Amino acid sequence: MYDLIIFIVLLALGYGFGRYAESKHYKSIIKREKELNKIPAVATRIPPIRRQDLNSQLVAGNVVISIDYFKRFIAGLRNIFGGRVTSYETLLDRARREAILRMKEEAEKLNAELVFNIKLETSSIHKGRGNSIGSVEVLAYGTALYPS
Amino acid sequence: MDYSNPELPEGINTSKEHPLKEFFILTAGILALVFIVISTLILLVDNFADKIPFELENELPVTSIIKYEQAEKLPPYLEKVTHKVLKSFELPEEIKITFHYVNDDTVNAFATLGGHIVLYRGLIEKLKHEEELAMVIAHEIAHIKYRHPIMSASHGIVVGIVLTALNSTSGNSIVSDLMGTTGTATLMKFSRDFEYQADKDAINSLIKLYGHAEGALGLFKVFEEEQGNQLNFEFLATHPLTDNRISQTTRMINANPNKQSHTMRAYPDSFKEWLKIQKEKTDESK
Repeated sequence: MYDLIIFIVLLALGYGFGRYAESKHYKSIIKREKELNKIPAVATRIPPIRRQDLNSQLVAGNVVISIDYFKRFIAGLRNIFGGRVTSYETLLDRARREAILRMKEEAEKLNAELVFNIKLETSSIHKGRGNSIGSVEVLAYGTALYPS
Repeated sequence: MDYSNPELPEGINTSKEHPLKEFFILTAGILALVFIVISTLILLVDNFADKIPFELENELPVTSIIKYEQAEKLPPYLEKVTHKVLKSFELPEEIKITFHYVNDDTVNAFATLGGHIVLYRGLIEKLKHEEELAMVIAHEIAHIKYRHPIMSASHGIVVGIVLTALNSTSGNSIVSDLMGTTGTATLMKFSRDFEYQADKDAINSLIKLYGHAEGALGLFKVFEEEQGNQLNFEFLATHPLTDNRISQTTRMINANPNKQSHTMRAYPDSFKEWLKIQKEKTDESK
């Protein structure tokens, strides 16, 4: 019986805090994306601008986000019934955008005009009991072009 | 060439559906799935569990694990009451019941595979009247009459197999725990049905023997005192809440037009004395 009460409390806590953290994070992401839109990040492998006065340097942004109890529970149920794991979709969406933002913030410090050849790497860390994923890491990196 | 990043619209990579909606649909789905699978299998198993010959129960490996070493010979009074109650049941010939008495403070009595009924001193001394004691004995005999021990054992095996199969596919500990709880709750539903059935038969036997069912109410009162004000969810309990057992009893008493004297027979002094000595014996050995 106490197990059940603990379970419900954990779900409620996971849902409450998870929702709050997510909406706060999205607000911050949208705001910063607008600010950093002046530095385009493109996937092309060849430097798009060739000017003598430009230097290049590696910039990277890394983020680790943990999933909450509620998300993990929903994802576990999805393992049985199938379908879109929506609880992980927002998680990865946030992580990727945040990683790119952190990379762009690095580029901004260099006064970069553009970041090219950006790449994203995703990995799950902390595989818990039953191989359930505890948190995701996203690394974004690219080459910043900045005036010398 | 000019490079720029467009502002992407929100919500293209995520779902707009409220997470709670998904939560309720999926949770209801998993609860229903486990409940339906286990209930169906239990109902199927019930069709043949009670066809297992009674003699075989004693040969099951589980039965031999339960040792009755602590059990002692029944005192004459217990012998008399158990015999009286047993006779009122008119059990089929192949069902043989063995009573065991254990000198221990545990407030309990149980019936198990092979027709063994174990009575603890702790429960016997909490009761004050023959009718209450008869209720306990009759309840346990009814369990054996309906082959509840072998059926419960079969239910346990079914639930075990289903949950193991489901858990190994889910691969998520939270979901596994939830499925385990749902499985237990389903199992407990059947266990409580057994208790109601045994209560019903025991009350009928009391009415047959003593003309009234006060003994049942007396016994449940003792349970109420024992449990105090503990918070309990019935859906996770092996036994129905005492309140619900009392209401079934009251319904049955009201349906019984035979209104004789409702005075109960107190334990004879010699038996009270014997219980006292038994208690002193355990206290000493501690």
